[in-house]
Amino acid sequence: MEDYIVEMRHITKRFPGIVANDDVSIQVKRGEVYALLGENGAGKSTLMSMLFGMYQPDMGEILIQGKPVRFRSSNDATAHSIGMVHQHFKLVDNYTVAENIVLGVEPMKKLLGFLPCVDLGKANREIAELSKTYGLEVNPTDKIEDIPVSVRQRVEILKMLYRKAEILIFDEPTAVLTPQEIEFLLKIIDGLRKSGKTIILITHKIEEIKKIADRCAILYRGRLVRVLDVKSTTAQEMANLMVGREVDFNPHKSPANYRDTVLEVEHLSIRNANKFEVVRDVSFRIRGGEIFAIAGVAGNGQVELADAVAGMVKTAGGTIRLCGQDITALPIRERTEAGISYIPEDRQGTGVFLDFNLGDNLALRKYYREPFAKKGILQFNQFETYANDLIARYDIRCGQGRKTSLRSMSGGNQQKAIIAREIEEHAKLVIFVQPTRGLDIGAIENIHRQILTERDQGTAILLVSLELDEIMELADTIGVIYNGQLLKIADASALTSHDVGKYMMGVKEA
Amino acid sequence: MKRENGSHRLASILDSEKWSGVSIPILSIVLSLVTASVMLLILGKNPLVAFLSFLQGSGFVPKGSYGGGSGMLTDFFTFLNVLAPMLLASLGFIVAFRAGLFNIGISGQMMAAGFLATALIGYSGLDAWLAKPLVILIGMIAGGLLGAFVGFLKYRFNIHEVVSTIMLNYIISYLTGFFINTKFADSLTRSMKICSPASRLTWMNLQIGGVKCNVPLGIVLAIAAAFAVKFLFDKTVFGFELRAVGRNPVCAKYTGIKVGRRIVVSLMLSGMLAGLAGVTYYCGYYNTIVPKSLCSMGYDAIAVALLGNSSPIGCIFASILITIFQNGSNYMSSTLGVAKEIASLITGILLLFSACGGYFRYLAHRRLETALDREAAAQKAAQAPAAETSAAQPPEASDGRTSSEKEEQ
Repeated sequence: MEDYIVEMRHITKRFPGIVANDDVSIQVKRGEVYALLGENGAGKSTLMSMLFGMYQPDMGEILIQGKPVRFRSSNDATAHSIGMVHQHFKLVDNYTVAENIVLGVEPMKKLLGFLPCVDLGKANREIAELSKTYGLEVNPTDKIEDIPVSVRQRVEILKMLYRKAEILIFDEPTAVLTPQEIEFLLKIIDGLRKSGKTIILITHKIEEIKKIADRCAILYRGRLVRVLDVKSTTAQEMANLMVGREVDFNPHKSPANYRDTVLEVEHLSIRNANKFEVVRDVSFRIRGGEIFAIAGVAGNGQVELADAVAGMVKTAGGTIRLCGQDITALPIRERTEAGISYIPEDRQGTGVFLDFNLGDNLALRKYYREPFAKKGILQFNQFETYANDLIARYDIRCGQGRKTSLRSMSGGNQQKAIIAREIEEHAKLVIFVQPTRGLDIGAIENIHRQILTERDQGTAILLVSLELDEIMELADTIGVIYNGQLLKIADASALTSHDVGKYMMGVKEA
Repeated sequence: MKRENGSHRLASILDSEKWSGVSIPILSIVLSLVTASVMLLILGKNPLVAFLSFLQGSGFVPKGSYGGGSGMLTDFFTFLNVLAPMLLASLGFIVAFRAGLFNIGISGQMMAAGFLATALIGYSGLDAWLAKPLVILIGMIAGGLLGAFVGFLKYRFNIHEVVSTIMLNYIISYLTGFFINTKFADSLTRSMKICSPASRLTWMNLQIGGVKCNVPLGIVLAIAAAFAVKFLFDKTVFGFELRAVGRNPVCAKYTGIKVGRRIVVSLMLSGMLAGLAGVTYYCGYYNTIVPKSLCSMGYDAIAVALLGNSSPIGCIFASILITIFQNGSNYMSSTLGVAKEIASLITGILLLFSACGGYFRYLAHRRLETALDREAAAQKAAQAPAAETSAAQPPEASDGRTSSEKEEQ
């Protein structure tokens, strides 16, 4: 008999309107990297949340080291040596690295012999040692708010190790990282495996699984499709199983057919809340039928630039013209009406009302206009027909039709709803900021096709993305932003991804 | 087995999309009445007699005996006199609350409105047909301006409305207190001099059905306002935008809504309703202002709004319920000999249970889900010859589920 450290048998979990897990059974061997692959909403995170004690399964049982367990909270799971790094980190921003790691299991000492207090010195030493052992470089005394995302992730990993976790669950760990950081993380995971830890990796990126995982379980719409040996399976096979159909990796991009200039940005500068100039003297133009992609490492001003064009932030200088009309000072709604659609980076925080239903969210650009409103009164039958139409045409999957609350929908379907809403405006300029972030192959493929269709119909597209692959695949023209300045604007065919990568690091001449 | 089906049915009523808005508050009310009964039993009193006396005190059930010229109708109209400002104040609260703002300054807005209306119109000697509308108008303007000011502070200087309204409550209380003491004090009672019958919003001592009644104009305004607020939120573009700002200001901005203006306007509307509540209270039911004492109604209104699930129609029922306890407490106290503060205690318990509404619904939901699982397990087991009990169970369960599913659609 093999040594299974984790067994989940016949797990079923329901949420209102959906079955998140339907009779799923997995067995994880000690010391392996076990990947859970599936589209968004396939039930990977739910399954692992149950293993980590955040939910209780409706049916089925969980065995740890052969013994059945019932976790009532994640504390129970921690007591059974299970640790989890969530997709959204759970750290206290104004605490130091060490304080975050020891939080809840603080080493204590007695001040003046009787006053109990936290022994931070000891914590710092222990963490420095731990970080050396596993090659996870952190400075225990740095505050979380001062360190980059990749280091925060290391803090999360150390948090598990500090609690002596043997089973480490990673929920989409690479979603927030740059290519180099991903490399590094995969090395860390490999190191953890070598030191005997068992790792469960939730992901939808097949290349990572090929690189690191031993075995891979594929979930599709809440059901377990198959458990594969990674070495003997091709990426294409995995992709097909995960999406439930044949996947086409190469979108067919027709040659560009440029029309008149749609957007003209001249000498644009933007200051942030601290009066710091985040965008400096940026000029570019986008023609109809052109995809202008802005490449850059996160935080170099690309999001602010897109926000400024859409009217979400004020400009400090320069002009923005849409089809010759100066829109620099126009409020957001007038810009929308002038012909700008915007798919924002933060889809849940900015793009939708999570507490409103799908139908209301789909009508956000139209609700105040005829025929959606007459004399200030909302026409709900109009909302209904419009929503049903969009749900059908854009294949938005939702439990209860247009009445589905956005909160209960998967990220991919939320994004579908946003894109449907914005594209339906038939704007002259559509701004996409990180349109595929955190989405699975099926959804990405779909969104890329939509972007290309828009372009072929003569729409000007401003694409901001942190994924270099995405930019190389879609862009007609590439602008590389570094430190708030457009270092290079060139035809996409004139640049290799290597060149773009160099400009992204601030090198002036490639 | 029977018990099981009963609880299943209860769960499906509590969890259904259509009924949970009503059934959850009713459950909260029942639970608080049970809790209150236990307390009354501990005090050695019969809870049924107590609840009956609350109803008697509010004119819903006849008392044993009445004083000369008064009757059940008298009590009922007095009840309406209290109900009107309570309902208006709670509507004022939800108009702001739905837009994500917490107007805790209703008491102050009420007082300012009542004071200004009394001072400007109450002593003017104008005819009733002119005086009453002017009192209402001044009340709304005073409350509205105060509300708008709070909104402006938030919009322009990012001052949280809870802080500014609490501060304003003090300022209004002391400022009006100063003017009442120096200019408008009644030499005998030291409160504000009463306003003329022509300007008062309650017609005093009307003969109805052979008894004297004080008929409040405010109750008509309050009910009308409840439906107006409902219409505003459910049907209008403006209400949609207010809800949007309340739920997610960032997305509201992205949608093109002018968030700052909506904040100012929603607090202004909230203040206007509070002002209306103020004049129906101070120039109707009460007819005087005790200096430097803010009425507790402005805070009770928050409880009413929460019990009514921030819905205007819910507020009508919630304010009726809470007013029954508050208004009937005097009579209850005199018949039972229990301190009338028990009314506030019951209000508090009600609030506590109504705050648990979401949890009740969650429990009901869990109950249905487990039933569903058991049914699935039973079906698997049914492939082997099934025991009679488990065979009888599934159709019942699936029935309950499908009906609740239909309601959801």
